[in-house]
Amino acid sequence: MAARARVRHAQRVTQRGVAFPGMIDEGAVRTARLVVADAHPVVRRAVRMSCETTPGLDVVGEADSVRELLAVCEERHPDVAIVDIALPDGFEGIRGLTEHKLAGAIVVLTDRVEGSVVLGALRLGVEGYLVKASALATVGRQIRRVLDGERVISPEVERIAVAELGRFARLAREGSEVRASLTPREHEILVLISRGLTMRQVATRLGISPRTVETHVAKLYRKLEVRSRVQAVSRAVSLGLVELR
Amino acid sequence: MSKRPVDGSVSEHVPRRRLGVIVVDPLPVVRAGLGLLIDDRPDMEVLAEAGTADEGIEAIQRTRRSMVIVLVGLGLSGDHDAYWLIRTLRQRYPTHAILGCGANADPTAISRALFVGADGYVDKNIDPVDFLQALRKAANREMVLATPTSSVVGQIVEGIDRRREVEVKLTHREREVLVVAAEGLTARQMATRLGVRERTITTHLARIYGKLGVGSRLGAIRMAAQSGLVSVGAPE
Repeated sequence: MAARARVRHAQRVTQRGVAFPGMIDEGAVRTARLVVADAHPVVRRAVRMSCETTPGLDVVGEADSVRELLAVCEERHPDVAIVDIALPDGFEGIRGLTEHKLAGAIVVLTDRVEGSVVLGALRLGVEGYLVKASALATVGRQIRRVLDGERVISPEVERIAVAELGRFARLAREGSEVRASLTPREHEILVLISRGLTMRQVATRLGISPRTVETHVAKLYRKLEVRSRVQAVSRAVSLGLVELR
Repeated sequence: MSKRPVDGSVSEHVPRRRLGVIVVDPLPVVRAGLGLLIDDRPDMEVLAEAGTADEGIEAIQRTRRSMVIVLVGLGLSGDHDAYWLIRTLRQRYPTHAILGCGANADPTAISRALFVGADGYVDKNIDPVDFLQALRKAANREMVLATPTSSVVGQIVEGIDRRREVEVKLTHREREVLVVAAEGLTARQMATRLGVRERTITTHLARIYGKLGVGSRLGAIRMAAQSGLVSVGAPE
């Protein structure tokens, strides 16, 4: 155990001592250091097994929460962090890793395949997106590919991401068109409605008659193609016209 | 299972009607190459090709099909550039599949094409088999992104979001003012161009700076350019 720690320390020193990492003797493949973050011990064990049977990979830390993940990565600076994005605050965890450069690469290993989650992760610039059901057994091999500079995203995940991208582009375009069609007053009223104000409160706030507010709201509904306040707010949020807080 | 007609006009592999493709690209060699590639397949054909956006629109008007695939070369430039064409086609022909087409296009160009209404992007730099497969997918109303590297999705989303953020803040008129400002005109020239008074332009500009949180015209233009609202010298 102590010997292994010494080796690891020596590797880290070598790493720091070399001015041009690309010039390291290519014959000797450096052992890559991994950290695994997943809520389930069984999954962490499976990842450990898959990685430890792959030459050149060494799992140097585990975490079952985002807080622990950040702490472990801060201490160990792994080459790859393998993260289940379904952990509470998973997105914030990955953002934290990239912002503070706590890991060389980030690979998502998860069950979640909803378009918004996949696209959100890719936006954060992760190097891989693997689905547990199909990739858990081969995770070591996939990590190897990431270390070779490849981006590893399974075709099914890629298809989901692209479909979501299309939806996202359409909503962005519609949002921009609808926004351009709103008068400043209508936009003002939309913002107030989405904060939960009643028609009467909106009228008082803007110093106009409730009747006038109703007229604006009717036009607003037509432009948003909705029939109720709830629909109006939900559509405005999905079009990015207002932010819920 | 329904019985197929006995006259043999329908079979598994040769569809009743071949998939129609219209190629709009400024480079004759690209048009010729794509023409050969597509016409060689039994299930698709090139209906027309055009070298400019306006010729493209004419060609599309002549075809009477309810669904064709339009390949728009992102290299089209001038007043009626590729993005103008995509936007115009999207409005006029909602049932056509419109695909941006480029060679190693940068993610900003791809986000721009998707934002203005493209159903996808295919890169000329991919395997011909994948290229044709992408056209078939687009015909099935699938969103298509066929690029040499799979790493661009995140950047494309980021680009679309930047564009959305800028556009959602500005009114239609403010966007027009910003696009004209990016051409480097003075307030007076902008006023003449848009048919309003100089004072109106300066009011618009001040409001735009406030909304975008920038202190100068340069800052506003930089933001508009990063978001893809304007490209230097080419409004949509």
